[in-house]
Amino acid sequence: MAAVVAEALPRRRSVLRRMLRGRGTAVAFAILATIVVAALLAPWIAPYEPFAVAGRPFLPPFWAEGSDPRFWLGTDGQGRDILTRVLHGTRLTLLMGLVSVAIGGSIGMALGLLSAFFRAADPYLMRLVDVLLSFPAILLGLAVAAVFGPGVTAIIVALSVATIPDVARVTRGAAVVVMGQDYMESGRAVGLPNHTLILRYLALNCISTVFVFLTLRFGQVILIGAALSFLGLGARPPTAELGMMAAQGRDFLFLAPHIATIPSLAIFVIVLCANIVGDALRDVLDPRLRS
Amino acid sequence: MLQHVTYRLLLSIPVLFGVLLLGFMLLQLVPGDPARVLAGPMAPPDVVEAIRQDMGLDQPVIVQFFLYLGRVLQGDLGRSMISNIPVIEELARTIGPTVELMFACLVWSVPLGLLLGTIAAVYQGRFLDQAVMAFSVAGVSMPIFFIALLLMMYFGFYWQLLPFVGRGGPLWTIEGLRHIALPALSLGLIFIGPVARMTRTAVLDTLRADHVRTARAKGLKERVVVLRHALRNALIPVLTLIGLQAGYLLGGAVVTETIFSWPGVGRLAVGAILASDFPLAQGTILVLALGFILINLIVDLLYAALDPRVKTG
Repeated sequence: MAAVVAEALPRRRSVLRRMLRGRGTAVAFAILATIVVAALLAPWIAPYEPFAVAGRPFLPPFWAEGSDPRFWLGTDGQGRDILTRVLHGTRLTLLMGLVSVAIGGSIGMALGLLSAFFRAADPYLMRLVDVLLSFPAILLGLAVAAVFGPGVTAIIVALSVATIPDVARVTRGAAVVVMGQDYMESGRAVGLPNHTLILRYLALNCISTVFVFLTLRFGQVILIGAALSFLGLGARPPTAELGMMAAQGRDFLFLAPHIATIPSLAIFVIVLCANIVGDALRDVLDPRLRS
Repeated sequence: MLQHVTYRLLLSIPVLFGVLLLGFMLLQLVPGDPARVLAGPMAPPDVVEAIRQDMGLDQPVIVQFFLYLGRVLQGDLGRSMISNIPVIEELARTIGPTVELMFACLVWSVPLGLLLGTIAAVYQGRFLDQAVMAFSVAGVSMPIFFIALLLMMYFGFYWQLLPFVGRGGPLWTIEGLRHIALPALSLGLIFIGPVARMTRTAVLDTLRADHVRTARAKGLKERVVVLRHALRNALIPVLTLIGLQAGYLLGGAVVTETIFSWPGVGRLAVGAILASDFPLAQGTILVLALGFILINLIVDLLYAALDPRVKTG
């Protein structure tokens, strides 16, 4: 076991190194890592409380005239510090995306693996996936919000369900190839039970493909979640969430545009970096996904 | 071909069923007793009971579901709980503007996306390619509301060039065009990225194909080779991929309509959900889902018609 780990480590390190070879990718990775760390540390590094009125309302950010050095990014319509709220909002936005991708990814991967392993179930599972694929994410979001009422949970449910079918398809594609390998046959011949074959052999050999695909999907999931929040179907005020903050800033767009544009810009930077890193990761780990 | 189309048609049955089930569930959420509401507060219990039997509310849920299906098939989607206007009338008023917006978005963004993607493929690896790809990655990373708000701020407010609230009239009038410009521009901008990206991949694939090498060997001009031989064959996969992006476009349309107060189905849906107007929410979700199914079906048929290989395969 120890020998396996020792052998696996240098390879992993080289994946990261190969991935970061492009200058753009390295920059994107660094920015993304900084944002994630800052979001994680939000309660400790944010200068103010996210819900507290900290200063005069509508204070502009530091590059505009009349700014207050105590509020780098200015204040919103209620006088809350925007930097603080962006940090907390990023935390919630990232969390929503991550949880949805994890839930949807796990269910989708399970469906894909089972579909490849149990050939008899394959047609049924894949028809189910086709049906799921017919519901665009935004429609799922609208429907879930209509039934259960707007909220973070509604968005996570919608985004998770929207992630399932694509992941199931990609996993099945990879798993079918693995099923044709000799070691699967050997495993079966020595009498390994199905769950061992699926978990130890099939899943482990598909996981890098699925991981790359989920990285590529992460940006899209964040975007859809932000759009749903912007529409008012997600987090409820006064919670800080980037999409919702942009929606609130829309009321003061001509008076104090920074209230809407700063959270929007934050989403853009996160998704852009995630997309660049995802693309690079795919090129290194799984060029076949390219199409 | 026939098999392919039949499969797609069969597939849309469970999807439709699921959507209808959802619509039915939404109507179950309406607070209060519909028979009581219809009878009025002063009605004696036996009248209420009679109305309840008449409406089928005393039947098991499954029977009620089929009664609901029957009503939907006749175009009866109930009444909005807020305006008391039949849902079908509200929908009829909003479908036109939504289709109009989609058209106004696609009519400029798809050709431009095709052009950019082709340019990127022809100049693969060079500056133009990198510029187009950078633009396209930025495009797919932009939240649609960010683009819409920026356009609104600059074109609408600072420069006062274009109106940014509501619809000005039919598409063929000057006012109609001026009003649709900003929504169509916002929605199109998020669509160019994916189209350019898909076109680039597809054209690159065909540029490597044998028939393109033959065309070059014949001494055809490079422009003719690219346009007539490579792009033309690349259009088929691009078309399918555009179909797959219909959901993306739909999501963008819902946000765009809300921001620019465009009187379409998406804005109606969001308003209904936020106001807990369940019958109206049910109607809008049904229509949006139906639209999505239809677009995909049309794309599938077009695909089969354009690519002879689908017919035999």
